[in-house]
Amino acid sequence: MTLKRGVPARHALAVYWRTWFAQIRSIVEYPADLWVMASAGAVWNILQFAFLAVLFANVPDVAGWGYHEMLMLSGLLSVAGGCNALFWDGAWSTGSMVIKGDIDYRITRPAPVIIQVGSSHIGMQSIGEVVFGAAMLVYGWIGAGIGLAAVPIGVLAVVCAGIIQSALVTALCAVNFWIKGQASIFAFLLIELQGNAMKMPLGIFPSGVRLVAMFLVPVAFVNFVPVSVVTGHMPAWWLAGVPAAVLGSVLLAVGVYRLGLRAYDSAGH
Amino acid sequence: MPLTSAPLPARPSAFSVDLALATVALKRRLAYRMNWIFGVVLGGGELLVSLTLWGTILAEQGSVAGYDWDAMRTYYVIAFVTATFVFSGSDTAQRILDGSVAIDLLKPVDFQRARAAEFYGGLAGSLPTMVVGLVIALVFFTPLPPASFAAGLLTLASVALIAPIAFSVVYLSTMLCFWTRSYHGIMWARQTVVAFFSGAMVPLAIMPAPLQALAWCLPFVHFTTTPSQIYLGRVDTLGALGLIAAQAAWVVALWLLGRWLWSRAVRAVTIHGG
Repeated sequence: MTLKRGVPARHALAVYWRTWFAQIRSIVEYPADLWVMASAGAVWNILQFAFLAVLFANVPDVAGWGYHEMLMLSGLLSVAGGCNALFWDGAWSTGSMVIKGDIDYRITRPAPVIIQVGSSHIGMQSIGEVVFGAAMLVYGWIGAGIGLAAVPIGVLAVVCAGIIQSALVTALCAVNFWIKGQASIFAFLLIELQGNAMKMPLGIFPSGVRLVAMFLVPVAFVNFVPVSVVTGHMPAWWLAGVPAAVLGSVLLAVGVYRLGLRAYDSAGH
Repeated sequence: MPLTSAPLPARPSAFSVDLALATVALKRRLAYRMNWIFGVVLGGGELLVSLTLWGTILAEQGSVAGYDWDAMRTYYVIAFVTATFVFSGSDTAQRILDGSVAIDLLKPVDFQRARAAEFYGGLAGSLPTMVVGLVIALVFFTPLPPASFAAGLLTLASVALIAPIAFSVVYLSTMLCFWTRSYHGIMWARQTVVAFFSGAMVPLAIMPAPLQALAWCLPFVHFTTTPSQIYLGRVDTLGALGLIAAQAAWVVALWLLGRWLWSRAVRAVTIHGG
């Protein structure tokens, strides 16, 4: 089974946006669903906000991190997850597509398989996640007294966070090419553990956890490193690690997906 | 040659139907062993993060809202155990969404009761996860013993009443699928609201008074706060009995609410191509 090579990037991008807008058109056909899902994303964020507000009404700081700084951690993490769901939610369907043989159709079309799968779904909860996550980030940003000069770093951090998050989820969903199953268990484990642990300052965890989050599965570069840099908890040169993590995680996702497609043997019909 | 008709099998009793449905749900749960490991890792991860957070805070502060490190550790171990009951899955939602609920509607069984039987079967399948998680938690986090023997017994009674409340909460949220095309949003919203207002995210004691009052008006508070309050001896025997009575009242009220919502929801059922 040969893989499509030499597809121009412009063409791939055009295919991506065309598919993405088709999903948007199908979403607006069912407004009740849209509101339920968007509200679910919003509820999650509002209660994260409430959690931190309640916590910091009782404690002055957590390992040197204040209320507004931790709001930024949670906010950026939400925006990253929201971006994944908004622009690349189809990656989660990899497992079911492998089982049903749906990858067959994608292989025969003249566009990269990973682009077609990634754009095949939009998680509507993302709207609530992105809006309320951004609100937490901005509120924390202002409260922590970070000036406008650092805004370009913030924008870069948001873009990179979305890409790293999507790439790591894609790489782990691609495990379903070998370990067959509807559910992307490993990707789900990642976002659950990340959602719990990475809204906390990394310093409270043992060194093993810190090493894994920084260098093995670089989830720390999604929210912890950029927030630490702009709030002065880490020196500025750590920012260089963010684009490096983007590159590493994207290469990992593409590599694992390619290997997965080589191992793909359809559903047998 | 005279024809002899075979005797009709006796109609099974309602209880044996419940048992059969529960057994099927249990077998289905046991078939996916990966989910066990998954459950322990997820629940354990959440427990570890909470304990790391509070370990850091209480090392500096000594105690927060009357919880020292020992009490907080015990509180989160109880939350971890009771979460097994609360976050048990349900595939009824999928059946409503793909239309196969039509088959359930044809069966001569009470819909709500049948789903309850399946819920308990699935719950029995989650028990190994809970036992493994509990043993690990007991060994590594050494929670406090119950405040007294009576407190221990009353905690067990309280924990036993979590299951029927949890079923109704899951069932009622599932009913909403009759009006939407997707269950994920409802499930996420439910889990977050439950985690927050049950006290599994942070103990209710550290919340401001209006939020505490709101939480006590909801059934979720009995998932984590009630059993832990009783276990840690923060309420006396009479108070514990009062809380258990409140749990029992929620069991009845939510069951009746389920009946009412079902009578409305079944009119909204859409079966594709049917």
